[in-house]
Amino acid sequence: MIAGALFYYQRHWWFNRLLTRLRRLRQPKYLFGAIVGGLYFYWYFFRTLGRGGRSAGIPLEYQDVAQSIASLLLLVAVLFAWILPQSRAALSFTEAEVAFLFPAPIGRKTLIHFKLLKSQTVIFFSAIFLTLIGRRWNGEDFLLRALGWWLIFATLNLHSLGSSFARTKLMDRGLSNWLRRILILCAVGLVVTGIVLWVRYTLPLPPAMEGNPDLAQLGRYANDVLHSGPIPWLLFPFRLVVAPSFAAGAGQFLLALGPALAVMGLLYWWVISSNVAFEEASVELSRKTAERVAAVRSGNWQAARKTKKPGRSPFQLRPTGLPAVALFWKNLTSAGRLVTTRAWLFLIWIVVFAGFALHSQTRQAGGVGAGLAFFALMLAGFSLFWGPQMLRNDLRQDLPATDVLKMFPMPGWQVVLGEVLAPAAILAAAQWLLLLAGLILFPDQFNGHSITLAQRTCYAMAAAIVLPCVDLIALLIPNAAVLFLPAWFQLGKDGPRGFETTGQQLILMFGQLLVLALSLLPAAAVFAIIFLLTSHLVPIALGVLLGGVPAAALLLVEAGFGIRLLGLIFERFDLSAEILIQG
Amino acid sequence: MFPHQGRSLVFSLGSPAVMFPRMETAPPVITQNAAPALIEVEGLTKLYSDFPAVTDLSFAVRPGEVIGLVGPNGAGKTTTLRCLAGIIPATRGSVRICGRDLATQTIEAKRRLAFFSDEPRLFDYLTVEQHLIFTARIYGVANYREIARPLLEELEMADKTDKLPGELSRGMKQKLAIACGLLHSPEVIFFDEPLTGLDPIGIRRMKDSILKRSRAGAAILISSHLLHLLEEVCSHVLILKNGRKIVDGSLGEVRQKFSEQSGDTSFEEVFFRATGENKDAP
Repeated sequence: MIAGALFYYQRHWWFNRLLTRLRRLRQPKYLFGAIVGGLYFYWYFFRTLGRGGRSAGIPLEYQDVAQSIASLLLLVAVLFAWILPQSRAALSFTEAEVAFLFPAPIGRKTLIHFKLLKSQTVIFFSAIFLTLIGRRWNGEDFLLRALGWWLIFATLNLHSLGSSFARTKLMDRGLSNWLRRILILCAVGLVVTGIVLWVRYTLPLPPAMEGNPDLAQLGRYANDVLHSGPIPWLLFPFRLVVAPSFAAGAGQFLLALGPALAVMGLLYWWVISSNVAFEEASVELSRKTAERVAAVRSGNWQAARKTKKPGRSPFQLRPTGLPAVALFWKNLTSAGRLVTTRAWLFLIWIVVFAGFALHSQTRQAGGVGAGLAFFALMLAGFSLFWGPQMLRNDLRQDLPATDVLKMFPMPGWQVVLGEVLAPAAILAAAQWLLLLAGLILFPDQFNGHSITLAQRTCYAMAAAIVLPCVDLIALLIPNAAVLFLPAWFQLGKDGPRGFETTGQQLILMFGQLLVLALSLLPAAAVFAIIFLLTSHLVPIALGVLLGGVPAAALLLVEAGFGIRLLGLIFERFDLSAEILIQG
Repeated sequence: MFPHQGRSLVFSLGSPAVMFPRMETAPPVITQNAAPALIEVEGLTKLYSDFPAVTDLSFAVRPGEVIGLVGPNGAGKTTTLRCLAGIIPATRGSVRICGRDLATQTIEAKRRLAFFSDEPRLFDYLTVEQHLIFTARIYGVANYREIARPLLEELEMADKTDKLPGELSRGMKQKLAIACGLLHSPEVIFFDEPLTGLDPIGIRRMKDSILKRSRAGAAILISSHLLHLLEEVCSHVLILKNGRKIVDGSLGEVRQKFSEQSGDTSFEEVFFRATGENKDAP
């Protein structure tokens, strides 16, 4: 009867969740995201479905080695489950489940069964996803591949539960986490040493690795190592679990299925017969999980981390002056300890010291210094795209606190300015550091051309002036998206997921690139005109610098207009039209 | 100039002995208040798509008045408060705070108000002290140190200045939110369920704090389901149902209006009669 109630709960939880998401598709912003996401998934996963997958998978001669390697990986995963964790056994429940189920007349075995049933959803989707990623199916054996993955994940899940119970028992008997880890690592060390010695003294030497090693020979050697001596015995139970995944057809699969299920059965018996109290730790775990979810939902990923320490103020905030500076200061503080004058001075010192230490290698193209210079300049260029995505301590972070921002007595443009300044400043500082590294390390000779320090300085200065202005515009675009499509940026369990999220991210990414490219066009035109006009009068490097200054000024004007416009939108932004706050 | 700016603000909050003395007086005495209203609401309407959350609401709150906003769930109390605090825009109607139109003189109006939601809204990555510095800059409180230092001491938070909100108890978070909200000496204060999650001492302190603010001349609007709280601290009451005003007036007037025979009908009884709710329903 109770099992029926739990099954009812789980079934309806999924059904209602699905229904809610389907209903949400009536709103165009979700529907459009879902369509784009669906097309992307179709293009990536399913377009080859009718043609029977991408390939038949691993060549036959490597199947056995691959199976042994998969078994070895499984063994490592199992060992990690004994070495890494340090907490007591705790089943992960939501706070609502704890409130309803723990005081209810439900036995612990039923709770474990419920937990096992609940975890099947994640296991099921993981199995499907990995089967699709692998694209190893040949039409009809998609099901076999998916079942193979399910067996592996379900077995690992059972083992994870059983090992957590066993670890708790050991802790109750006085075996500390560190002592347990040391004992296991010693045992692993002994076994590995024994195997290495056995291989060294019983098998021929491995094939030479220099030049172009013979892969077939290498494969045979690996096969010899994995199929003789103690290793096959060590990997035997793990081979049983992975064997169905490597079955060539339905017949082989069915033959391999029995032993794999037997291993699962043994683990299941181990879990069910372990008499370990998990309730108290589960309640604590559910509380912590709920707190982390709440923190993430409030946009505070920092608070969601396990350890948190107050951030040092990046600068002294005076009580009077432009209120936008307060938001800038707040967002810099939220960025953590890395955003301090001391940290940046330390980084500059490292770049300058290491740069001049490698200077001798940069006189000619090639060498570590030149490689680092190109890498730094490449990073500075790419930062225009990844920077605004990674640094989100702006309206994207403060979106759940928009009601607080709306209360502040400041015009909308100041809110927007204050919000985008922090990520813009951090990004610009990172870019300047990379430019400094490029300036110091760039070779004097490149492609047969001499590039003097004065020329390099002109190029670096032009980039140093233009990049922050581009950053500002690049950061305004996602912040504009927050105000136009706030639901797309909603975090936590009520935020969009699945097809919708993927579609929305794709739309945002392409939209951002398009808007950025369009907004850069006028500045690029100004740069080109100035550069062409001055090219006959001054050296090229100076022309680049002279062209860069008005281009940067134009970008700043564009950014100013953007901030004004977004400010007006923020002032008219109606929180009640969104689902961000409770009405 | 608002009468309780500067240091005197400190003594409206704080330790039980100094800032929250035993409540000696009853709710604010109702007198004919001729002062201009600090909160003026005219025809306020808020629609969520086509759904009217608040319809044609008008009322005024004068200095020293504490008005209780009550009504069943979904009556539109929180929506009203959010509209008045400028968090969400009204669909129709006007709101004036200290004579400033909230729609056209937004910043001047917001500078004069404070809104306290049922859950303290704090930034998780700013410490107690950083919250005060941040708020001071937003509201331009030049002498915030003079106000904040004794304020923290009296709030029993002087040793917690470097703590993050995550390290504070709920009551402490509430105190911090109040300290931030009162730092700029607001003339108009909105409370949404101010007693949520407070222990008995915290409840007493909150009630006393509300009364002290009202005596100092602030106009206060409290939304709450706790009718006994409203009876204790409110001079006036406004009952909403389905987004519409059922009745407003002083506590005595409202009680009189819904008393069948005698004038000593409890406010709970008044509420049930006014809203037409069945108090005996399970």
